[in-house]
Amino acid sequence: MSRGGAWAAGLPSAESLLDRYVEVTGGKAAYENRKSEVAHGTMEFVAQGLKGKMVRYADASGLYRMTMDLPGIGTMETGVRDGVAWERSDLMGPRTKTGAERAESLREAVLNSISLWRQLFPKVETIGEETVNGEECYKVAMYPGEGNLETLFLSKKSGLAVKLTTVTSTQMGDLAAEILFSGYKNFGGILTPVKVIERAAGQEISITLDSVEVNAPIPADQLEFPADVAALLGKQKVN
Amino acid sequence: MAIAPLLFLLLIALPLGAQTRHALDLKSFDKVWSTVRDTHWEKRPGGLDWDAIGKEYRPRVEAAATSDEARTVMREMLGRLRQTHFGIFSEQVYDSLEDGDGPSGSGETGLDVRPMEGQVVVVSIQPGSPAERAGVHLGWVVQSVNGRPLEPLIVAARQNPDIHVLQLTRSFLARLSGPVGGQLDVEFLDGRGERVPLRLGLAAPRGELAEFGNLPPQRVWYEEKRLGVTAYVRFNVFLDIPRVIPGFGRTLQGCKPCDGLVIDLRGNPGGIGGMAAGMAGFLVEKTNQKLGTMYMRDATLNFVINPRPDVFGGPVAVLIDGTSASTAEIFAGGLQALGRARVFGTRSAAAALPSLLTRLPNGDGFQYAVANYISQDGKPLEGVGVTPDEEVLLNRRTLLAGQDAVLDRALVWIQEQKGK
Repeated sequence: MSRGGAWAAGLPSAESLLDRYVEVTGGKAAYENRKSEVAHGTMEFVAQGLKGKMVRYADASGLYRMTMDLPGIGTMETGVRDGVAWERSDLMGPRTKTGAERAESLREAVLNSISLWRQLFPKVETIGEETVNGEECYKVAMYPGEGNLETLFLSKKSGLAVKLTTVTSTQMGDLAAEILFSGYKNFGGILTPVKVIERAAGQEISITLDSVEVNAPIPADQLEFPADVAALLGKQKVN
Repeated sequence: MAIAPLLFLLLIALPLGAQTRHALDLKSFDKVWSTVRDTHWEKRPGGLDWDAIGKEYRPRVEAAATSDEARTVMREMLGRLRQTHFGIFSEQVYDSLEDGDGPSGSGETGLDVRPMEGQVVVVSIQPGSPAERAGVHLGWVVQSVNGRPLEPLIVAARQNPDIHVLQLTRSFLARLSGPVGGQLDVEFLDGRGERVPLRLGLAAPRGELAEFGNLPPQRVWYEEKRLGVTAYVRFNVFLDIPRVIPGFGRTLQGCKPCDGLVIDLRGNPGGIGGMAAGMAGFLVEKTNQKLGTMYMRDATLNFVINPRPDVFGGPVAVLIDGTSASTAEIFAGGLQALGRARVFGTRSAAAALPSLLTRLPNGDGFQYAVANYISQDGKPLEGVGVTPDEEVLLNRRTLLAGQDAVLDRALVWIQEQKGK
C-alpha cells in the first residue's frame, strides 16, 4: 500500500526521520567514534548460483575498497581513493568512474554516511508511507548534489532503514535498483544490517556480513591503488 | 546475456505420462504461448496483441488431428513474430540433436567435423588424439559411427529449417563421443573415395574443468601459437574468466613484435557475454567504445569496452563459421563494426541472443530468445549472424591437401597490412 502526494502534508519531516535513524542506529557520538571499518562477508548472485567471499575496507579519510572473489569469475574490486572512484576485475580490466556514477561511488564510500546525511543530501523530503515486507514505513526522498534521487524507507516502529530505491548509474547503463536491509546487529556501538539484498534488472545479489571490525587497522596494501588501476591513471595523466 | 548456448546443457526432460497425445499438444501450445508472453523482450512481442494471437491459434491446436498438425500450427504462430530463433523441434529430431542417439559420455576421438557438400567432413584433428594416432586425415568423410550412418541427420536438417549448422555439428560430435576409455567403430571415406573402417579410442576431453554458478562444470582449453610472426589464439568456449582472459593478455604481452593476431572462433559456441567486451579491451585503444547493446524487457545494457593499460595495436583477423555462436558473434561482430578486426570464414550461427532450449510436455523441443542484441553498427545479430568481410569456404579438396583455406587467407591479409 502506498500513500503519497497530498498525504505528505501530515507526515513527519524528513529531517526528523533521518535524525531518528541516526539515533536508533547508535547516535552521533558513536558514528564520530568510528574511524575505520573492516567487514567480511559472503556475496551471492542468487539466480546464477554464484557465491563468493567479499571484504570491505573503509576509513574516515574517504578511503574505500571492496574486493569480491567468485568462482569462475575471479576477483572484482571497487574503491575510492583521493577522489578517484575506480573498479577493476579479471573480466573487464581497470577503469575509473566519471559523472553520476563517480558521485554515487564517492557517497557510498563515506564511512559514516548515515550521520552525515545533511552533507550528502542537500534536499530531503517525506513523500509518503508504504508497507515493506509487513513493516510500515515512511518514504524519504533524498536528493544528492550530483547523481540520482534515493528513496529511503524508514520503519515507523524501529526507525531503521528497511529499503532503498534508486536508479543506479553504471557503465553499462542506468538500472532501477531496490535494496533491502535486515538483520541489524551492533558493531562498535552502531546497528548495521548484516543482510543486504539488491535487486536490479531481474537479478538479485545477496550480501551477508559475517563480521564487522570497527576501528580495526586497514592493511597497508589496501591503501594503495591496485597496480593496473595505477597504470591506467598514469596513462590518463600522460594523455 | 550470451551464456544461453550453454543452457542447452541444462535441458529439462519431461517424461510423457499417461495423458493423451492431444492433451499434451495442447499443454505444449500453452507453454509456448505463455513463455513468449512472459519472457519476450517486448511487452507486445513482435508488436503483436499476443492475447489475441493465443485466442486465434489455440482452437486450431485443439482441432489438430495429429501432433504434426499441432506442431505446424505452433510454428505458424511463432512465425507471426517475424523474429528468428523461435523454433519447435519435433521430438524425434530433438532427441537426436540432444544426444546424437549415441553413447553418453565425455570421451573424445579428437576429431572436429562440419557438414560440407552434403557430407560430414573432418576439419581438424587434435594432435596426439586417438584419431590422429589411428591415421585419420583432414578432409575425410565420416560415413557412420558404430554402424549407424550420419546421413539421416543431414537429411533431417535439410527438411527442417530450424536446424542450423551449429545444432547439426553438435549432433555429429555427440555421435563421436562416449565413455572415456571406450571405443567407436567409425567408417570414413578417404581422399580417393575408399572406405576406411577404423576403431577409435575415446580419450579424456581436452581442457580443465571450470565452474560457473549453476552450470555443470565445463572443460575449457586455451591455445596459442606462433605462425611465423603472427600470433594465433583459439579457445573452445567463453568461460573460465580467471584463466582465459589473463591468458589472452599474456599472449598479447608476449607478442609485441608480432605483425598481427588471428583469433579463431570456429567451433566456439559462446559463453559469458561480458568476456567479449573484456577481451576486446586488449585490442581497442579508444575509450567510450562498445560492442553492442542488449535489450531486455526491464533493462538495456551496453557491452562497453574498457581499454586495457597495454593495448595490442596490430592487425586482427577473426575466423568464424556456422558454429561460432553467441558471445563469439558478439565479439566478432562488435570488433568488425568498430573496424578493429577483419572477419574471415562463413556466416556465424546467428544465435547471438540469450536463447533457451526447453522441452515441451509433448516431448518436442522449443527454443526461444529472451533479449534482443544490436551490434555497434546498428545491426541485430539474432537470426542474421556475422557476415565475414571475406567469405572463405572450407572444402574437401584443400582440406585433403592439409590446408586451412580460411586461416591461410587471414595470414595473407595480415601480411598485406604491413606498411599500411
